[in-house]
Amino acid sequence: MLYQLALRNIWRNRRRTLLTLSAMIVSSALLILALGVFSGMLRDMLASATEQYYGHLVISSKGYQDDRDMFRHFPADLSLDAVLAQDAILGTSARLRSFGLLSHQQNSSPAELLGIHAAQEKLVTSLQEALVAGEYLADNDHNGAVLGSGLARRLNVGPGDELVFVTQAADGSIGNDLLRVAGIFSTGDHGHDNSLVLVPLAWLQSVLVLPGQIHEIAIRTDQPLNAAALAQRYKSNLPDSLEILDWGQMLPEMREVVASYDVSRMIIVTILYIATGLGILNTFFMSVMERTREFGVLMALGMKPAQVRSMVLLETFLMGTLALIFGVIIGVALSLYMALVGIDLSGTLTPITYAGGTILPRLHAVIETSNIIIPAGCLLLISLLAGFLPANRAARMQPVVAIREE
Amino acid sequence: MALIELQSVTKIYPLGNQEVVAVKDFSLTIDAGEFCVLAGPSGSGKTTLLNLIGCLDQPTSGDVWLDGQNITQAEQKTLADIRLNKIGFIFQSYNLIPVLTAAENAEFTLMLMGIEKNQRRNRVRQLFAELGLGGLENRKPSDLSGGQQQRVAIARAMAAQPAVILADEPTASLDSQASEELLELMKRLNEEQGATFVFSSHDPLVISHAKRVVRLLDGRLVSDQ
Repeated sequence: MLYQLALRNIWRNRRRTLLTLSAMIVSSALLILALGVFSGMLRDMLASATEQYYGHLVISSKGYQDDRDMFRHFPADLSLDAVLAQDAILGTSARLRSFGLLSHQQNSSPAELLGIHAAQEKLVTSLQEALVAGEYLADNDHNGAVLGSGLARRLNVGPGDELVFVTQAADGSIGNDLLRVAGIFSTGDHGHDNSLVLVPLAWLQSVLVLPGQIHEIAIRTDQPLNAAALAQRYKSNLPDSLEILDWGQMLPEMREVVASYDVSRMIIVTILYIATGLGILNTFFMSVMERTREFGVLMALGMKPAQVRSMVLLETFLMGTLALIFGVIIGVALSLYMALVGIDLSGTLTPITYAGGTILPRLHAVIETSNIIIPAGCLLLISLLAGFLPANRAARMQPVVAIREE
Repeated sequence: MALIELQSVTKIYPLGNQEVVAVKDFSLTIDAGEFCVLAGPSGSGKTTLLNLIGCLDQPTSGDVWLDGQNITQAEQKTLADIRLNKIGFIFQSYNLIPVLTAAENAEFTLMLMGIEKNQRRNRVRQLFAELGLGGLENRKPSDLSGGQQQRVAIARAMAAQPAVILADEPTASLDSQASEELLELMKRLNEEQGATFVFSSHDPLVISHAKRVVRLLDGRLVSDQ
């Protein structure tokens, strides 16, 4: 009957209960949505940094990622099966890198050339999805080039145009050769759009006079946020001359952004729920004050203070649970809409490059369990906390004083 | 042995910087099965005495004994247990729980005592039949007349078959006909079931029905007839 009594007490002032419930539902639903969008933004940034260029993990000669020294290469046929044949690894891409001058007619620009196998690279990065003109490299492409939109604009080239690349080769000679523009990508990341060019690995090995050699193997995993632990696990299986770095080591600023995300998330949750909690506290205090006389009667009839406290807490718990159910349903529905459809802001905003990643001009959510569990759990907790003070007040009343209250 | 015994009881309430003596050096003994009224004008200490007997308040000095147990210094939890198991309350303004039906109100104390649902229902059905409340089990208090509400309050007070039923001005909110009916009913319960009733009232009708009238004035015993 205590449960029945609590449930009926909730509905005795329907308007007030519905107003409080709607505040609780809206706050938790919006919080789930906001955290989903926030996670989406973070995921976009992380993806722009890792899935457009770096990969989640990179194997290279020790020190190569610090100075990108052309001579820190290793054989492409080095057996790394112990590392690369893991379940968590979704794809690997062998790469050779070179920096040099790219020219078209009278225009020239410094550029970073990344020699790749097109089929492998597609498993690690997603530049093929950012094409704005032409096509991605074909598997058997001999001298195709896919370059960033900023670089293409500077060189004034389009698909089919010829480019000349000049650099220093490993044997001390001047390496140069012709490329043909296959496609143009635009990621929103100014660094990549203004300098990066993807070329066939064999073509670059030939230009640099580094046959059969690569600088790195980029790896994509199914656990990007767990990349550091994976790197640690795979390290022992590598030859001494090689090292494996996770994206956090290559992009320390991005690692800080991800770390600060959890703090930011808790700050948002705290601020929103303090406001919601005060609203609930107000409602329950009013409800308890209004029923002072009734609590006196209940205690006169033999109800113990602990039972009175439990009854009021049960009321807050029931309201919290009800709000939680509807809040989660609405919040997840809104997040799903934002995940599947989202809002495109490219008409009014341009991409922002920050900490090695790019914040895209779109509102897009991802569904993460923690973004649902944290708001739901906090809502229930705040309901109980907000109910505790009035419940305690009710339990401490002297029946003889309470009964006299009008 | 007396059911209720007050020995030189004094109750003083603080009122701002002053003190109000509600009951002074008051002694009284009430036996089981009595139908007793504490009579007196407003402020004479009737309600204070009922509160002391009903374990809702504790005396400033003196001793209160209920069913052989000294309750003067008992803890709140013990007092709550005594109220639940030995005392039934009937209030002036009924004080039914508005969100519960008439039957649920009546079985509330039984529920607190942990009595099983079927047993509770049977007891309440029997009481409602005796009190002329048959057919009103599922009505909310707001759908009942004053007289009906007070009958439900009596059912609630009697449900657990307490040692004593305390009624604070039970007819104050009723018209004369409903008051008469209620008093007859309580008298019948007293005579047929041996229930002990202690009233507070200044209503001549209530006083005329009482078998024992304890008159008070300014917190002191004036007469006991």
